[in-house]
Amino acid sequence: MLDEKIVIAKHIHKSFGDNEVLKDVSLSVHSGEVVVMIGPSGSGKSTFLRTLNGLETIDKGQVMVNGQLLYDKKVNLNQVRQNIGMVFQHFNLFPNMTILNNVIMAAISTKHFTPEKARQEAKKYLDMVDLSEKMNSYPAQLSGGQKQRVAIARALEMEPKIMLFDEPTSALDPEMVGDVLEVMQQLAQNGMTMIIVTHEMGFAKRVADRVVFFSDGMIQESGTPEEVFDRPASPRTQGFLERVLNV
Amino acid sequence: MKFVVKLVSAIIAMVSLAILVPPHKAQAASHYTIGTETTFVPYAIQGKDGTYNGKHPGIDMEILRAIAKNQHFTFDLKIMNFAAIVQALQSGQVDGNMAAMMVTPERQQTLDFSHTYLNAGLSLATKPGSSIKSYKDLKGKIVAVKTGSTSETYATSIQNKYGFTIHHLDSTNTEINDVTTGNADAAIDATLSLQYTIKNGMKLRLIGTQQNVHPVAFAVKKGENAALLQKFNKGLANIKKDGTYAKIMAYYTGAKAHTNANIATDRSYLGIIKANAPQFKAGITMTIKLTIVSIIIATIVGVFIGLFGVVPSRLLKGFHGVYTFIFRSIPVMVLSFFIYMGIPSLIGHKIPLFTAGVATLVLENSAYIASFVAGGIKSVDRGQMEASRSLGVTYLASMRKVIMPQAVRTMAPSFINQFIIALKGTSILSAIGLAEMTQQGTIIISQNMEGFKVWLIITAMYLVLIGCLTLLSDRVQKHYSLAN
Ligand SMILES: Nc1ncnc2c1ncn2[C@@H]1O[C@H](COP(=O)(O)OP(=O)(O)OP(=O)(O)O)[C@@H](O)[C@H]1O
Ligand SMILES: [Mg+2]
Repeated sequence: MLDEKIVIAKHIHKSFGDNEVLKDVSLSVHSGEVVVMIGPSGSGKSTFLRTLNGLETIDKGQVMVNGQLLYDKKVNLNQVRQNIGMVFQHFNLFPNMTILNNVIMAAISTKHFTPEKARQEAKKYLDMVDLSEKMNSYPAQLSGGQKQRVAIARALEMEPKIMLFDEPTSALDPEMVGDVLEVMQQLAQNGMTMIIVTHEMGFAKRVADRVVFFSDGMIQESGTPEEVFDRPASPRTQGFLERVLNV
Repeated sequence: MKFVVKLVSAIIAMVSLAILVPPHKAQAASHYTIGTETTFVPYAIQGKDGTYNGKHPGIDMEILRAIAKNQHFTFDLKIMNFAAIVQALQSGQVDGNMAAMMVTPERQQTLDFSHTYLNAGLSLATKPGSSIKSYKDLKGKIVAVKTGSTSETYATSIQNKYGFTIHHLDSTNTEINDVTTGNADAAIDATLSLQYTIKNGMKLRLIGTQQNVHPVAFAVKKGENAALLQKFNKGLANIKKDGTYAKIMAYYTGAKAHTNANIATDRSYLGIIKANAPQFKAGITMTIKLTIVSIIIATIVGVFIGLFGVVPSRLLKGFHGVYTFIFRSIPVMVLSFFIYMGIPSLIGHKIPLFTAGVATLVLENSAYIASFVAGGIKSVDRGQMEASRSLGVTYLASMRKVIMPQAVRTMAPSFINQFIIALKGTSILSAIGLAEMTQQGTIIISQNMEGFKVWLIITAMYLVLIGCLTLLSDRVQKHYSLAN
């Protein structure tokens, strides 16, 4: 199983106007692998992550997820996206729906589940993130940490093959970060394939199979947590780590 | 530029056609649509219900009725401002005009006239105590006239000679009110109507002799409807022969000419309301009907065109931009004239008055609705659409389930506001003769001359209607803030 590549991104180029944000980025992820991306602000981490589920257009390159080419005219993006869960920095829960409806909306709309089954599954995932008693509340009534856990449950409801996290804890008060990371760690233990952009170095060390250092629109360095954190090869990585670890 | 004109016309025509509720009837050759004006005593006197169906609707109406009977044709009346009548004839909205119209060389350029059915001149009227004793005393004074009438043309022609200023007003009755309230020092209008008004209790005095005497006749568009003209002439000759004509003239201009029953009634607010209850009621009903029908259609049209403004299509976005720019820019009154008088010449057949009114309000209000719908959608955080799409939900389903419900919440106050604006906008449609509240007010005043009191009553009626809408809006908003 571990040899099966679930994400293959090849030679991605992307510019916003004159600003070249991704400069020939390639990355492959095996099924069940947990990849953590670190790097300075503005280096293109979010942009790259978003190219992996078609939220961003690209100028050059190829992305294959779960055996389907994303940037191909014939592909049904909606279909592909059902296999790719995404968790955003600012949660992006739907404020007009209850927690339960946030979780089941997509499953019902895409006919992934019958409404009955969708509710059953939703309860399972809300239990998992320890929020089943908030099922009938609205997002505005939840704390940041609770919101992010709902967002994870919402993504899981679609039974994705891979989960993308874009700085899932950056917008949280410090005391809420732990609960969210715990849920993510549990997911990793259950064998979920995950690509995570984060500044939580401790979490990266504990959970990552591989750490990717992003800088200036390129992957500068990539390896096991020990390799990247303890014996960084590139001076840029060293500089970055010194800055974040000493703050 | 040509393209824009074509586009605008096409849009207006489309909307007008779409809401042309009753399909156009094929008209038999012996049925005509005749244009006439709102009350212009003693030629045309609208009844309490705003129609000319009563027993004594004025000289013009009675003559027309007698001729139609004599010549075996039937007709529908279109009631509008005098200034609009000639345009309506040009555009084919009406087949003929029976509106105390004087025969002048300018009018003969574009109209064909029947034989004269009476001769009418103009007189100068002032308040009884006025220092004006002749035209020579008009130096530096203000003279009120009716827009589009011969009194206006005549006044303009002698203006320099006598050195007065002209007030242009839209009806005989506002023009007379202008004198009685002291805004103007004198009025020039048809002698017969001034005499009739005075006989009915208006405190005015005629100065000097009748001027500018012209024949008055029935008119059709030049080169068209010759058959109708012929029937009119034949009928006129017949009713002159059989005495009907003399009877009619005696009733309105003879020594024992009748006086308007309305004059003697109770002049308190309650009395005015009681005496004109059917008119007030008809006005309210029409205003409400116009508002509701327009706002429903405008909301549907507006939401769609609003969506055009946010979908990823350059063509639809462009359409949204042009539509909202044009219909937010055209003044409502101009738009209503364009639709009612202009479009018929473009599409080749008449547009019913109610339809024209609704089309005007729909175009105007839908443009505003489209703008704030687009704005409301754009104000929803981009992350909402991304979150929904990242779950595999389609663009349209995301719009419907995630974006629109949030956008509607921010739009709710704008919608209520737009409903209020639409309600007030109905008032402008009095210009094309729609018998809504404002128009009814004009008609009532033309009979009892109680301008101040009647406008106060009409104002109160608008306040009540808008008050109800405001209450409703508070409820809606409370409902939404609870759900938030
Ligand atoms: N929609 C956009 N339009 C124009 N420029 C953009 C857009 N999105 C991102 N950029 C630019 O692309 C570059 C990379 O942005 P990106 O968000 O991918 O960085 P990041 O590595 O995620 O940074 P951070 O850690 O601050 O989130 C930045 O210079 C940013 O200003
Ligand atoms: Mg980012």
